[in-house]
Amino acid sequence: MTQADVASTANIRPRRRRRRNLTPFLLLSPAILVILFVVLLPLLFSFYTSFTGYRLIKPETLYQWVGFQNYQRIFADKNFWAAFGRTVLFLTIALNLEFLLGLGIALLINRITWGQRALRTMMMFPMMFSPILVGYQFKFIFNDNIGILNNALQALGLSEGAIPWLVDKYLAMFSILFAEIWMSTSVFAILLLAGLFAMPRDPLEAARVDGCNPWQVFRHITLPFLMPFAFIAMTIRSLDVARAYDIVDVMTGGGPAGRTELLWTLIARVGYDNARMGQANAMAYISILLSIAFTYYFFTKLIAARKYMGGAD
Amino acid sequence: MDRVLKKRIGKIVTWFLTFVLMLIISVPGLWVVLTAFRPNREVLAKPAIWIPQDPGWTNFAKIFGFGAEQIAIPVPAYFANSLIIASTSTVIALLIGMSGGYAFARYRFKFKNKIFLGLMLSRTVPGIALSLPIFIIWSRLGLIDAKLGLIIVYVALNVPFTIWLIDGFFRQIPKEMSEAAQVDGCTRWQAFWHIEFPLAKSGIASAGIFAFLTSWNEYALASNLTRSTDSKTLPVGLMDFTAQFTIDWAGMSAMAVIIIIPALILTFLVQKHLIAGLTFGGVKG
Amino acid sequence: MRLSRTMALATGVALSALLMGTAIAGDENFDYGSFEGYTLRVKLIGGAQYEPLYATISEWEEMTGAKVDVLSRKNHFELDREIKQDIAAGTLDWCVASNHTSFAPQYGNIYIDLNGVIAEDILAEFQPLALQNSTVDDRLVQLPRHSDISNLYYQKSLFEDQANKDGFKAEYGYDLNPPETWDQFKDQAMFFADPPRFYGTQFVGKDEAITGRFYELLVANGGNLFDENWNPIFNSPAGVEAVQWFKELYDAQAVPAGVPNYLWDDTGLGFASGTVALNLDWAGWASFFNDPENSQVAGNIGLVRAPVGSAGIRTGWSGSHSFSITATCDNTEAAASFVTFLTANDRQMIEARKGLLPTRAAVWDQAKAEFAADGNDFMVNVFETYAQSMAEDAFTPPLIAEWIEVSNEIWPRLQAAILGEMTPQEALDEAAGKARIIMEDAGRL
Repeated sequence: MTQADVASTANIRPRRRRRRNLTPFLLLSPAILVILFVVLLPLLFSFYTSFTGYRLIKPETLYQWVGFQNYQRIFADKNFWAAFGRTVLFLTIALNLEFLLGLGIALLINRITWGQRALRTMMMFPMMFSPILVGYQFKFIFNDNIGILNNALQALGLSEGAIPWLVDKYLAMFSILFAEIWMSTSVFAILLLAGLFAMPRDPLEAARVDGCNPWQVFRHITLPFLMPFAFIAMTIRSLDVARAYDIVDVMTGGGPAGRTELLWTLIARVGYDNARMGQANAMAYISILLSIAFTYYFFTKLIAARKYMGGAD
Repeated sequence: MDRVLKKRIGKIVTWFLTFVLMLIISVPGLWVVLTAFRPNREVLAKPAIWIPQDPGWTNFAKIFGFGAEQIAIPVPAYFANSLIIASTSTVIALLIGMSGGYAFARYRFKFKNKIFLGLMLSRTVPGIALSLPIFIIWSRLGLIDAKLGLIIVYVALNVPFTIWLIDGFFRQIPKEMSEAAQVDGCTRWQAFWHIEFPLAKSGIASAGIFAFLTSWNEYALASNLTRSTDSKTLPVGLMDFTAQFTIDWAGMSAMAVIIIIPALILTFLVQKHLIAGLTFGGVKG
Repeated sequence: MRLSRTMALATGVALSALLMGTAIAGDENFDYGSFEGYTLRVKLIGGAQYEPLYATISEWEEMTGAKVDVLSRKNHFELDREIKQDIAAGTLDWCVASNHTSFAPQYGNIYIDLNGVIAEDILAEFQPLALQNSTVDDRLVQLPRHSDISNLYYQKSLFEDQANKDGFKAEYGYDLNPPETWDQFKDQAMFFADPPRFYGTQFVGKDEAITGRFYELLVANGGNLFDENWNPIFNSPAGVEAVQWFKELYDAQAVPAGVPNYLWDDTGLGFASGTVALNLDWAGWASFFNDPENSQVAGNIGLVRAPVGSAGIRTGWSGSHSFSITATCDNTEAAASFVTFLTANDRQMIEARKGLLPTRAAVWDQAKAEFAADGNDFMVNVFETYAQSMAEDAFTPPLIAEWIEVSNEIWPRLQAAILGEMTPQEALDEAAGKARIIMEDAGRL
C-alpha cells in the first residue's frame, strides 16, 4: 500500500485510519509483552547486579554497589579474554562449516529423486536430539578408553594408542565442534534445500543453453539465489548458538585446563559454583553484545539479499 | 555414449557421497538407539562388543518400573509434562506469532524495522544469562516448578522465529485476495480466516515444528525452573541417570529413545509442509 | 495427583524391599513422635547408591502419621545450584536437605545448629570425628549419614605373578608388594602400564575431585593449603611435589590419556573393566567391584590403606554425606525426627551392606559381623581397612565458605600443569594468587 493509498482511504474514512494505526501495535502487543516480561525484565535485573558484588549465597550483597569493579576485573582477566576469543573462533568455524556442509547435503539430496523423502527425514535426524543428549552421546563416543571411536580405530588397526579426544589441545576443540556441527548442520541443509526447491528452472536452462559449465551455473545463478536462505540459516543459528552450552558443559565442562572454555561455561561456573552472580552477569553482558553483533551482521546481510531479490522492504 | 557414461559416473558419485554423509549423520544417533537395548556390562566392555549379544527391552522395563530392580524414574510423568509444556507453548507461540507476523506483513507503522530487529535480538540472549533473574522473578510469582512457568518462557523463546517465518509467509499471499474478499462483504477477520490462513498453513506448520522441537529439547532453563514430577521435562529427567559417582549409559540411552521417538514421528508427519513452508516463508514475499 | 503418585511409588518400593529380603526388623522402640497431617518437605541427593535408603521413608510416615514430599532428587552439584537459587530467591520453604561436608560451609546460617535439637544421647552414638567434621563455626549444621574416604584397590593376581615380581625387582630394586608410599604407588603404576590396553592407575582429573586429591597429597607431603592466617601457601615445594606425581604418571602414559576429563564414575567403571591395576577409590564401589555381574575383577581384588606421602603422613581426604534442617522450617521437631530416623542404626545398616561407611560406631561392628556370618571375607576386609583409615587418617578440606571457589581456581591450573602448559610451580603460583584474591574478598586477609 503506497502513501497515496493510505491518504485517500484516510480522507474517506477518518475513523478507520486511527484504528489502522493502532491495529498493528495491538496485534504485536502479545509478542512484545511476553518478550518484555521474559527477556527484558530479567536483563534489567542482571544489568543492575553486574554493578554489585552480588553473591548468591548472601542475598544482602544484592545492595552492595561496587560500580565498575566487576567489569574492571573481567577486562584484566586473561582467562576471560581467552574464553572470549575461543567463543568467537568456535562460532566462526561452526557457522561456516555448518553452512558448507549443509550446502553440500542440500545439493546432493536435490539431485537424488528416488528415496528423497526418506533421505530428507534422515537428514533431520539430529534435530530431534536435545543438546544435552548430543553432549552425552559424544562424550561417550569420544571417551578415550571405552568410547566407540577409539575402539573402532584400534579394531581397524588405524591407531595404536588411545587418542585423548576430549583432552588434547586441538582434538578437544575439534570434538566439541564436531558435536555442535553434527547437531546443527541439519538446519542449514533443510533451509538451503527449501531454497533449491524454490529456484526457478528457466535461468538454469537458459544458462545451460548458453554453454555455461555446471560450475559457472552454480557460481553465478544457484549460489546468489541461495544466499538469502543461507543468511536466514545463519541468523537463526546465531540466534540460538548458546545452545552449544549444554553440549560443551556435558562433554568437557570447559576443561581440561580451560582448553574448551567458552563464555557460557565460564559464566555458569562463576555464577553458580562460585556464587559470584554479579561478576557472572557482567560477563553475560559482554557475551550478549557478542551474539548481538553476530546476529546483527547476518541480519543486515539478509536484508540486503532480500532487497537484491526484489523482495519486501 | 561419452555423455551417458559421464552421467552415470555422476550419479554414482552422488550416491556415494550421500551415503557417506548419511552415515555420519545417523551413526552416532543409531549407536545411542542400539545402546538402549543392551545391558550396561556390554556397553562398557573393552574391547568393544559391536554386535549386541544380549539385546532386550530390559532398560525400558527398568525405567517403567517393570524390572526386577526398580530405579523408579517417573518417565510417564516427565513425558506428560514435556508433551503438555511443548505443545501448549507451541500453540501459544503460533497464535502470538500469527498475530505479530500478520502485523508486520500487512501494515506499515512507526519503528517497524526497529521492533522487528528488537524481537529477533531478544532471542540472542543466552539462557544462562537469563536463568537466575527469571528464577528470582518466577519464585516471587509462584511459577517455579509449575508447567505454566516453563510455558511462558518457551513462548518467549519461540515467538521471534515464529513471527519471522509467518511474516514472510503472509507477504507471499497477494494482498488483493483478502481485499477482494472484503469488498465482497467479509470482515477483515473473515477474510483472514477463510483466505489467508489456509494459504499460510504450511508456513505455520513449519514454524510450529521448529517451536515444538525447541521446547521439547530445551534443557538449561528447564533444569533451573523445574523441581519435581509436577513440571520436570524429559531432558531434565535425563539427568536422573547421572548420580554423583555413576552414569547409567544404557538407561540414559533408553530414555533418549523415548525422547526422540515423538519428535521423529512429528517431524516425519509434517516434513512435507516443512519444506514448502520454509521455501516461501523465509525469503520471498 | 501428586499424593497418589508418591503413595504408589512408596508402596512399590516397600514391596520390592520385602522381595529383596531386606525387610527391616521391627525393632523401633524409639519414639519418633506423632505429626499427624503434617507434610514434611525435603530435598534429597539422588542416584543409585543413595536411593535404597529412601525406600524406608514410608516407615517413618507410618510411625508418625506425617507425609514426606520429596521436592527434588538430584546429584549434589545440581542440588547445590538449586539450594543457592533458593537462598537467592528466598524460597527456603522446605525443611530438610541432603548436605555434604565440603558444601556445608557455603550455606551460612540457613541451616540450624543441631546441638540441642537432636537429643544428646543420640548424638553420642555417632563417631566423634564424624560429628566434628560436620561442625562449621562451632555449629553442628548437619547430621552425618555416611562417610567417604579413599583406599587403594588393586588386582591381586598382578602382585602374585612371579614374572611381575622378578621384573619389578630387577627394574626398581625392591620387592613388589602393594604400595606403602605414594612413590611406590607411582613406580608400580608405571610398571604395570601397557597403554592403550592396560593402565597402571587412574585419577579423577577435574572439578573438586582433583583438588581434593591434590590437597590430600599436599598434606601427606607436609604442606598445607593455607597458613593459620589464611594466606595461601600451597605453592610450596610440597605442592610442587604433589603436582609432579600426577604429571609424571600422565607423561608416562601410566594413566588413560583422558583422565583430565574423568570423574568418579570413570575411575570406578575403569577399574571394574579390568583394565587398571591400582585404583584409589571410596568404599561405595566395593560391592560393585566384587560383583561378577558388573565387574571383570570380581574375586581378584586386594585392598590396602591409602599410601603415605613424603612427610610420612597418610592421605585421608574425607567427608560425609549428611542431612541438614533449615532455619525456616515450620516444624523443626518433625524434621529432627526425620533425620534421626534416616541416620538410625537400621537405616545405616542398609547403606553399610552396599559398602557405604556408617557414621555410628555400633553399625561398623554390626556390619562386619553380618559380613562375617555370610562368609563375605572381602567385605569384612573392606570394612576393617576403611575403619582404620577413618579412625586414624581422615581429615577434611578447610571448612570455609570459600572452599569450592578456591577449588575452582586450583583445578584448571592443576590440569594445565599435568598437560604441560605450565610448570607445576607456575600453575600453583597463579592459583595461589587467585586464591588470595578470594580470601581478601571474603575478608579473611
